[in-house]
Amino acid sequence: MATTTTAPAASAPLTQMRAPESLWRQAIRAFFRQRSAVIGLTIIVLLVLVALLAPLLAPYNPEQVLIGIEDVQKRAAPCIHLLGCAADQPQHIMGTDGNNRDEWSRIIYGARVSLYVGFLTVGFAIILGVLLGALAGYVGGWVDNLIMRVLDVLLAFPALLLAIAIVSVLGPGLINAMLAIAIVSIPAYARVMRASVLAVKQEEYVAAARVVGASPLAILLQHVMPNAISPLIVQGTLGIGTAILETAALSFLGLGAQPPTPEWGSMLSAERNQVFSAPHLVFFPGLAIMVNVLGFNLLGDGLRDALDPRLRR
Amino acid sequence: MRLAHVSWRRSAALALLLALLIPLLAACGGSAPATTEQPTAAPAAATTAPEPTAAPAAATTAPEPTAAAEPTAAAPAAEPIGGLKEDNGLAVASVTACDAEYAGQKYAGLIKEIAAVDKSTVRFTMCSPDPAFLAKVAFSSFGIQPAAHIQETGGGGDLLNKPIGTGPYAVDSWTKGDNVTFKRNDNYWGEKAKAATLVFRWSTEAAQRLLELQSGTVDGIDNVAPDDFAKVKGDSSLQLIERPALNVMYVGMNNTYKPFDNEKVRQAIAMGIDRERIVKNFYPAGSEVAKYFTPCAIPNGCTGDEWYKFDPAAAKKMLADAGFPNGFDTELAYRDVVRGYLPQPNQVAEDIQAQLKQNLNINIKINKMESGAFLAAASAGQLQGLFMLGWGADYPDQTNFLDYHFGTGASKSFGDKFDDLTAALKQAAALAGDDKRKPVYEQANNLIKKHIPMVPVAHGGSAVAFKADVKGAHTSPLGNEIFAQMDPGGRDTFVWMQNAEPISMYCGDETDGESLRACNMVTEGLYAYEKGGTKSVPALATACDPNADLTVWTCKLRDGVKFSDGTPLTANDVVTTYYVQWDAASPLHKGNTGAFDYFSGLWGGFMNQKPAK
Repeated sequence: MATTTTAPAASAPLTQMRAPESLWRQAIRAFFRQRSAVIGLTIIVLLVLVALLAPLLAPYNPEQVLIGIEDVQKRAAPCIHLLGCAADQPQHIMGTDGNNRDEWSRIIYGARVSLYVGFLTVGFAIILGVLLGALAGYVGGWVDNLIMRVLDVLLAFPALLLAIAIVSVLGPGLINAMLAIAIVSIPAYARVMRASVLAVKQEEYVAAARVVGASPLAILLQHVMPNAISPLIVQGTLGIGTAILETAALSFLGLGAQPPTPEWGSMLSAERNQVFSAPHLVFFPGLAIMVNVLGFNLLGDGLRDALDPRLRR
Repeated sequence: MRLAHVSWRRSAALALLLALLIPLLAACGGSAPATTEQPTAAPAAATTAPEPTAAPAAATTAPEPTAAAEPTAAAPAAEPIGGLKEDNGLAVASVTACDAEYAGQKYAGLIKEIAAVDKSTVRFTMCSPDPAFLAKVAFSSFGIQPAAHIQETGGGGDLLNKPIGTGPYAVDSWTKGDNVTFKRNDNYWGEKAKAATLVFRWSTEAAQRLLELQSGTVDGIDNVAPDDFAKVKGDSSLQLIERPALNVMYVGMNNTYKPFDNEKVRQAIAMGIDRERIVKNFYPAGSEVAKYFTPCAIPNGCTGDEWYKFDPAAAKKMLADAGFPNGFDTELAYRDVVRGYLPQPNQVAEDIQAQLKQNLNINIKINKMESGAFLAAASAGQLQGLFMLGWGADYPDQTNFLDYHFGTGASKSFGDKFDDLTAALKQAAALAGDDKRKPVYEQANNLIKKHIPMVPVAHGGSAVAFKADVKGAHTSPLGNEIFAQMDPGGRDTFVWMQNAEPISMYCGDETDGESLRACNMVTEGLYAYEKGGTKSVPALATACDPNADLTVWTCKLRDGVKFSDGTPLTANDVVTTYYVQWDAASPLHKGNTGAFDYFSGLWGGFMNQKPAK
């Protein structure tokens, strides 16, 4: 098998012709040329690994109260044996929180919640956004007007305020918070999709497809989607960061994740008054949110630079 | 070649999109039940309840719910059963008879008549003996204001923002949302205020209060966070003063909802919560585990049998006997508001959640509610699960604790009343003398232990902090610190930072401690509570003397007392102040919400009160 594949390769220099590089490969190369994008990707990959391997990485159950199980104070400062913490004391890399739970385990499990929230909200928003955008762009006329004006109204509200309003109607809870944030972010995706549809609709190859008898759905999937996919990916990646941040904000306000779920925003909120007496309990969740959102933002920026041909150098 | 390229691109795109979609589809199953479950939380979201009632006193005092239930209330045109008369320039407020009926409902109040006997004497005539009279007239809700001012304001409006009183300070300005500024009342009859200006500010965040104190922008703060006690003590530029624990935090249960209608379930919860662990971990020094509902510092508070010991095995068995061997699902409602009885609401809630899960396999959903909505829902009996609430003493008497919560006039927060308990409380309240009351309160405490309307958890210690150079700094178990007697290191402005803004400064119709404290700067009652203590001491009256059976109290007013606007205090001002709160039909009976909770709570009820629907 190996010999057969090497044969044409050896003959290539003869023709002195290189096959044109695919756009996707160009994009990947452009992506990896940017250091910040690679950093972003690394952060996200690490976070995903942490989330997947949480049960292996976390020394404790994140919801387990250690009162009576270990001799440890609540809101104890970090104790790391390698850094000189007495060996007879239980090790808590990030200390313990106000309810005597291991902060490190909670941060690790928090990554799960955060990523879950990010992907799910954006996924939901993309589905609805793409459907609405495609419908508006393809059908046009009053349907377009109706959909886009409704979305304009959605856009006119400050996102977080609207999310708070939605959650207070639905009731607090992680799922409802995600739903609220998803709804709030629909317009962005719908606009991207609609713009792509409008751009492609007039192309001759679309007209040709229509003449051949292709159904609108086939045209949408075969001709429009490939054009829309890269801006959607960029928008989606950046949107994940925003979604995570907004969920943390809702949880901070007590509208998102409910205790004892280890969610970074609610962890931050629970200990906000101990910012002077136990700064680690505010610092670590805050840092985790920051790193997470930074990762998605760097990745999103990198993807945009890589996928947009106009930005290619 | 071109075709192949396009299809590769398309499949890559679809794969990426799918990667985003799959987790979503997986979660769809989960999201549906979660959203349908939510409607139970709807009352929480409905924050339309009026904010005013931020203290636990809230509406625990609907005057006579039992009588209201009678269908006879298809009343004839209600004939007033009393009112205010003026006789030779002396005001007399009275009801025609103690058993008079208004709109088919019997008068429930304790007061029969309040009369200005002469310009400086007021006589209170009671329907039955009132041993707690002096403690009641000292309460902040009964600060005397000029009759003319009450009439000019129509019982509302400026009365709420600009009270006129005889106190050491007068309101200078109130910038809503930011501060209240008081200026020294130079007409004050007693020792003049040390600082010329007093400023009240507020922040709900303990960390911010401490930061402001450390940076020197305020001179004193309320409710230091428990974890900061040591830090404040160790700071030589600050002083920490611990406030005695004259309060109780409890976990309430409403006996009209399943499964809390079952006494065994309530008892299992009582034995399944390790209260010592809660107090040890989440309360500051000076707090104690509640052995009874009422703290021991209150006479007869600690009589009868002590509360159940923590016994998870017995609790588990008890719950199994009640038909819940595998526990059940419920919720724990509370408000994220720091009070002396509950310094760390979130942590305590999560610990109770963890404990009940571990000990009894009860799954608790935490329901953090807006303060006003929570109190309204609690007193209306709408909280179907467990709820955390507390009570701080207003005056040092058992009636202030037990009758408010478990007496006939108590709210519906615990559901249906227990007849044996209400009977005992009624009997005790009419007895004069702690010794005579003791056996009855012993019985009442035992009945509370038997019926378990709630689980008393802690008497919470709290603390205030001042700059080290504040002279005369003190605190009070009732939360009424006297700032006029504090000297902020020679500066002419004293700035105090508390938890929240006063709701209004007409404290006849406020129940919130943050408001009552502000009122205390401006208005005074016939009596007052001693500095840093709970004893009633003469204030606007030099003495109130009872007759032999404690049904008539005659109060002699202090000579030469002037209001901050310069008008002299007369007996008519006292009668009018009480009357507008007392007569529900008076056009001046307006206030902030019109509830006048403390009046009906302390004096039994209003005259000319329409029956509740």
